[in-house]
Amino acid sequence: MTLTAQIFLKSTVGIKNKGANIKTLLNFLAQETGADKSYGSNKFCFENIEVPKIEYEDSHQKNWNVKESGETLSLNSSKLLIKKVNELKKFNTKPLFKYFLDGSRRTYKVDDVAYGNNIYPIVAGQIGVGCCKRENPDNFTKALINMYNVIVMPNYANASGQKEKLYFNNLLSKINNLEKLQKLNINFDEILTYSKKDKDDLEDLAVAKIQDKMVELEKIIVANLVKEKLLNEDSYLIKDGSLEYKVMKTGNYKELAKIKNNYRHVVGVSKRFNPNLVINKRGKSNASLLADLPLYHRTPAIKYKTDMAGEVYFAIWYVRIRDKKYTNSPFEGILKLEKILVTDNEIKNGLESEEVDNISANIINERNPVCYGSDNRWANHLYPVYLTEKYIKSQYLSDIFFLNLF
Amino acid sequence: MSLIGKVSATEKNPTTIDEFYFWTKPNRILSPFDVVKVENTTTNSITYGVIEEISHITDTPSYLTSYISNDFGDEDYHANTHRIGMNYVKAKVVGNNKNFYIPVNDGAKVSFASEDEITEALGLKDIKNPLVCGYLEMYEYDEDNKKVLPVYLNSHFLVGPEGAHLNISGISGLASKTSYAMFLMKAIQEEYKQRGESVAFVMLNVKGKDLLAIDEINEDLEEKDKDIYKMLGLSDKSFENVSYYYPYSRDNLSNTYQSKEYIDKQKKLNKAYHYKFIYEEDKDNIDLLFSNIDDPTGTMESIINYIISGQGNFNSIEEWDKFLNEVGELCKTGNSRSDKEITVSSWRKFKRVVSKSLNNPIFANRIQTNQKETRIEEVIKNINKNEVKVIDIAKLDENMQGYVFGNVMRAIYDLKLGQYDDERDEKDIPDRIIIFIDELNKYASTDVPKSSPILRQIIDIAERGRSLGIILFSAEQFKSAIHDRVKGNASTHAYGRTNAIEVSKGDYRFISPVYKSMMTRLKQGEYIIQNPIFRSLLNIKFPKPIYKQFKN
Repeated sequence: MTLTAQIFLKSTVGIKNKGANIKTLLNFLAQETGADKSYGSNKFCFENIEVPKIEYEDSHQKNWNVKESGETLSLNSSKLLIKKVNELKKFNTKPLFKYFLDGSRRTYKVDDVAYGNNIYPIVAGQIGVGCCKRENPDNFTKALINMYNVIVMPNYANASGQKEKLYFNNLLSKINNLEKLQKLNINFDEILTYSKKDKDDLEDLAVAKIQDKMVELEKIIVANLVKEKLLNEDSYLIKDGSLEYKVMKTGNYKELAKIKNNYRHVVGVSKRFNPNLVINKRGKSNASLLADLPLYHRTPAIKYKTDMAGEVYFAIWYVRIRDKKYTNSPFEGILKLEKILVTDNEIKNGLESEEVDNISANIINERNPVCYGSDNRWANHLYPVYLTEKYIKSQYLSDIFFLNLF
Repeated sequence: MSLIGKVSATEKNPTTIDEFYFWTKPNRILSPFDVVKVENTTTNSITYGVIEEISHITDTPSYLTSYISNDFGDEDYHANTHRIGMNYVKAKVVGNNKNFYIPVNDGAKVSFASEDEITEALGLKDIKNPLVCGYLEMYEYDEDNKKVLPVYLNSHFLVGPEGAHLNISGISGLASKTSYAMFLMKAIQEEYKQRGESVAFVMLNVKGKDLLAIDEINEDLEEKDKDIYKMLGLSDKSFENVSYYYPYSRDNLSNTYQSKEYIDKQKKLNKAYHYKFIYEEDKDNIDLLFSNIDDPTGTMESIINYIISGQGNFNSIEEWDKFLNEVGELCKTGNSRSDKEITVSSWRKFKRVVSKSLNNPIFANRIQTNQKETRIEEVIKNINKNEVKVIDIAKLDENMQGYVFGNVMRAIYDLKLGQYDDERDEKDIPDRIIIFIDELNKYASTDVPKSSPILRQIIDIAERGRSLGIILFSAEQFKSAIHDRVKGNASTHAYGRTNAIEVSKGDYRFISPVYKSMMTRLKQGEYIIQNPIFRSLLNIKFPKPIYKQFKN
């Protein structure tokens, strides 16, 4: 990542002295919310200045409560799937996975404003969630895409104390009516808010809001696919990343049942996971077993329930899709697969081992082509997911353009 | 309008006023030379492009990635998803319907053009003095959009007065150079007759019996070719007013590939003659026998001057035999007759060259007109409007072929310069005389001695023929071997199938690499044409010959 797209404003600008005729988005925001001062801070894209580090997609896994086997057969060791893999190819079985879902976001620090004695960051973001469809090996097209522009503000900006949602929706429509945005035909879709009482780093907090929104949008896409009856036992969806949506815990039982039902034909595939959190069904760390997982083997599936996701059980297992000798670390080439346990029977006995095998074999068959040379995570990437990610990223406004909206 | 893609302007490959790139689906079949149109929204106009290159790319950054993507080298591996790939096409801008020459914008729609638009794009619309020179096939592989349309060029740029001469190049057999020249000449004969303009043709038959029955119809011509002739607006008749001239020989056979019966049949119809060379009339052209002889010191030239000016005993000689005897005498040591400046050894060299040729029965004592005999000069001198004279030289040796060809050119030159004005009414002389000669490399290659009288004659025609009304249609295998002044003066060039070595020569430098490699793959009956009125090179086709084809 580079340090490009850092746009500097020349000086801080006091709102009170500012002529009202220059309606930049930031001026407008500060004015509308009655901010004491807009600092016109350095605008930058978070993704561009952070030192890249491995982000485990299962960092929340710390809270896992180990239960028992996540599948009907109780396996004591890994299982070789090459026979199944070859069978699928030999009989020309249609690939199980037809839809591929990915979400990504770009977040930008756009300003610091003062409300009272406190300084709050204003963060903006572009969220892209998209789903691509594969009809045949040569036909890979867009199924759904949602590009969503957001601004994150402290809830404190609402000075009047009127209903938060109402206030910010009103502000949003005023922003969208700004001449500059109208001219460029750009729309913001939502103003998200963060609250200072969370006491975390406020910028992180704002970024987390955007992340949550992205997850929310992903869920909507899955729900839409289900509504259109596009997902079924012959056409599964691969969702890039974990399925453990923390928002699940807030849902009441009815909503939960519905969400769960939507995920009947969805498999979460995580590229990165913390190997130290891999535990066997007795709750012991099992990182070394995973490191030595042979090619085309899968681990036994384990049933987990996580507090973060509420009353939802997952079957989780790992599959090695690339030979260790070709990768940089023993954990590259291993994918973490997750599936939500939907029926009572599944919750009680785990997934049918046959289904686990079938999903794993199909995942193994997705191993090629690779994005070697264009993405460092090639060993863990599945090409259709990689394409979906590329497609979404191609839809973003450029960082410079986006930052200059403010 | 069927869309085929959109313009893509990238940092590395921007669109310019000369070219643009567009993407298409990988299963879209296009060919080089296809015309595409681009909507130009800024100027509300249409820009036309001709396809020059087609490339296929995927998101594979390296070959290594491809290797890894097949399970590290498993040849039998089939992936569930094929790589995202697409074709991108480089097109050369050939015009804009409103003459706006600004680069087309990124994202502009690219589509197939209609017939009207194709003609407009290629500069083929509203051509004055139209003469059909073949037909175009566009979007050949797209059944719904396939277009076939005749191509016309302005005849004033082919046979004068604006431009003249045609040069056809291509390898033997595969290029069908003769067939194309004949196709064009048939079109000219029909068109000029219709227009009431006068033109005449002199063709030299250099291969087998190729041109020895061009007034007869090709019985084996398929219906589809007949349809093409119809589409091109040409009749299904062969050449008209044709007469054939065979080299005289005593047994009728040794000097031609045509059978005696066939010649007799033609003679009965008053369209076949034998030609001879008579000492008294033709001795002036004896220099033509020396066109391939290096003569750095000019001794041969001195001898020829000595003979032509009638010095020594040459004044009193009337027959070739006596001429040879006289030369023989001069070759003897100690002869007292010759000019002192010409050495005996020079005379011996002269004799060596001429005696072989003069042994041919074509060099005879007199003409028997009742036996349908004539002289080349007579043939040319009396050529009439719309006539076709086919002169057979196929079986003569190379030296003799040059001699006959040289005689033909000199006679035409004299005719057009008014040498025979006292014998002919000027208004009866055809305005234009087209000479067709195959294997031009024998007479005008870069290897031919600079002193060659034939080369001088050809250069003269190439440079001055346009204004005199003498048009040279020439063909050769390798254009690069032809004298610069000859090919440089041709207004129209037709490139048939050739080989890779040839296209690497300087003559082909201006042609884009894709067209060059296309030249090495052209099918029989396909040509790439260059003419001043066309905006770019055109890939045209023409039907099989309409005149009788002798099977070998």
